[in-house]
Amino acid sequence: MKQRFKLLRFWAAVITAKCAIVILRLFKSGGTSLPGKLALKLYPQILDHLAGLFRVTMITGTNGKTTTSRIVLSMMEQKGLKVITNKSGANLSSGITTTLISALTLGGRPRFSHALLETDEAAFRTLAPRLKPETVIVTNFFRDQLDRYGELHTTVNNVREGISRIPDAVLILNADDSLCASLGRNAPNKVIYFGMGEGIYPESGASINSDAAFCIQCKSRYEYSSVTFGHLGHFRCPSCGYERPHTHVECSGILFYDSLGSHVEISGPDLRISVKLALPGLYNIYNALAGASFGLALGLDEKAIAAALSGFECGFGRMETIAIQDKELKMILVKNPTGFNQVLRYLLTQEKPFVLAFAINDRLADGTDISWLWDVDFEVLALMAERVRNFYVSGIRAEDMAVRLKYAGISTDRIRMEKDYRQLITRALQETGAGETCCILPTYTAMLDIRRILKKQFGLKEFWK
Amino acid sequence: MYELTICHLYPDLLNLYGDRGNIIALTKRCEWRGIRVHSRPVSLGDRFSPDECDILFIGGGQDYEQSIIQDDLLKGKREAIKEAVEAGKVILAVCGGMQLLGRYYRTHDGKDIACIGAVDLWTHGSHDRLIGNLVFECDFLKKDGFDGLVVGFENHSGKTWMGPGVRPMGKVIAGFGNNGEDGFEGAVYKNTYCTYSHGSLLPKNPALADHLITLALKNRYTDFEALPPLDDSLEAAAREAMIRRLTGKQGSGR
Ligand SMILES: [Zn+2]
Repeated sequence: MKQRFKLLRFWAAVITAKCAIVILRLFKSGGTSLPGKLALKLYPQILDHLAGLFRVTMITGTNGKTTTSRIVLSMMEQKGLKVITNKSGANLSSGITTTLISALTLGGRPRFSHALLETDEAAFRTLAPRLKPETVIVTNFFRDQLDRYGELHTTVNNVREGISRIPDAVLILNADDSLCASLGRNAPNKVIYFGMGEGIYPESGASINSDAAFCIQCKSRYEYSSVTFGHLGHFRCPSCGYERPHTHVECSGILFYDSLGSHVEISGPDLRISVKLALPGLYNIYNALAGASFGLALGLDEKAIAAALSGFECGFGRMETIAIQDKELKMILVKNPTGFNQVLRYLLTQEKPFVLAFAINDRLADGTDISWLWDVDFEVLALMAERVRNFYVSGIRAEDMAVRLKYAGISTDRIRMEKDYRQLITRALQETGAGETCCILPTYTAMLDIRRILKKQFGLKEFWK
Repeated sequence: MYELTICHLYPDLLNLYGDRGNIIALTKRCEWRGIRVHSRPVSLGDRFSPDECDILFIGGGQDYEQSIIQDDLLKGKREAIKEAVEAGKVILAVCGGMQLLGRYYRTHDGKDIACIGAVDLWTHGSHDRLIGNLVFECDFLKKDGFDGLVVGFENHSGKTWMGPGVRPMGKVIAGFGNNGEDGFEGAVYKNTYCTYSHGSLLPKNPALADHLITLALKNRYTDFEALPPLDDSLEAAAREAMIRRLTGKQGSGR
């Protein structure tokens, strides 16, 4: 009787959520959390129930979740699997519930065999034991929205606690990140480590804003034989011996690299491939390595892994490019210092002149504290200042961004403030020459706002579809 | 040519919330006026000597990082920092830095963690998180001829109180301040300035940055009188925007 009652509740919750999804679509709203919230209200255990219907892979970490999950998806497609995935904005319990419900038939049966779920780092602790994933990928840990996530070690420990409840899951971890790699230490799980080979990556040098300069086990200062960026690299603790673990999947060579992508060699005990990545930005090599590791775990052969990586072409992370007449508009999401620094390094590879606009908001989803802008190395802009036609600042905190640029050494007569996004796009495009690019770097909610305008004016497709 | 040495205490460990923005602001505002700045990181195992320092900056760190410096700070640098405070060196301590300068930090389970004890203030951990944008009003800046309003962002669960020898840095206009109860923000003792306003405190409050630079130059050069003004219109716009947003009122623009 109890079982039947549970099923009834499950079905009622599913139907309610499905109605909500349909209604929200009718109103052209991309809302992804409300249907799940309703379902969770009606049947609090619904997630456990839903998760039992799919074979689950979870992806978490600070940067690169979205790109990695798209690469993993193309690995799964190589295998011919039917996969439901969540959108990056729907990575809390309500959004994930909505996603899984939308993958059911009206009768409550799954239409997909697998679920690939990007999960918020803070929510991972409670979600992992409920979703019982077969595989967990952790990309990296960096400081991110301290007002929301709290201290970095709290985040790492949250993920650690979640993992301790799923001893059967295969872990795919970044060996170069001492915080991330520590998740695999003393865990009963099977672990696949990925990383960058010694000295392969053009070094950025250690930053004083390193998020993990000191041993997570014994608090001594790590020694590095090479650093890629932030605190990532070949670390070793001289006092307790904790060091970068041996990798199963490693980037053993960067043959070529420009603003559109790279050509890399990936090798390990079980594979050796040479592949072109249509992913700009060196840090995306890490995401590709995570994806390749997943391919291995899935049992794909070298050819299929290479095909999945090279066939992957959706721009990077949250970079979107649209052609407007003979110009190009690029929008790249920025959300924390490490990610922002990587975007700036990517811009350094632009050879033609370009217009650069920043749109900084401080709503809840952006992080209400924008002090992190001072941890970003805007000083590197001086290296490209000649190629930047002008600097635009926009968003709720445009003034703060202007101050940051000024103190980074940008001459104030080249800083333009434009708070109206429509005007911003028009003015910035006007200054962009034919064949050139206008780069807009928005925080999360600014990106949504700008996207809406681009959609209206230039027919950019909606992103929750 | 005037010169100043700015020391940054544990820059690799106490560097939360864009703390280095304060160092950047001090340095740039000196350089723009032809004052040469030497910046010196002082980290684990480094000797700190008050004689070789004009301005000392102490930022906040995460618990993990703060636990790493504990020994080095209390056994190695405590006396030198106390000496610097008593000698009237210019010190800016933000958030965790302010707590460290105090007598002790009492965790919410009642454990006392010893601190430097250079300033008569103490902090009690709480379960509330005092977080958000902040505006406070400083009399010493009014005396310098400004409107005295300082904007910042606070994020702390510790509540700080001070003894009779210490003045608050300002009166809270919007936000929580030291403890969310007595209406005060920060602490001033001699030339030591403590505040919960982190991140871009000095870049956005140039009057405060210049106040500290002036004190440091007066300490070092008997002939120094005043800093030449700079064009601070961008800084003023950023400060004004926050004052308007939090108080609904206009600042005076400087
Ligand atoms: Zn160690």
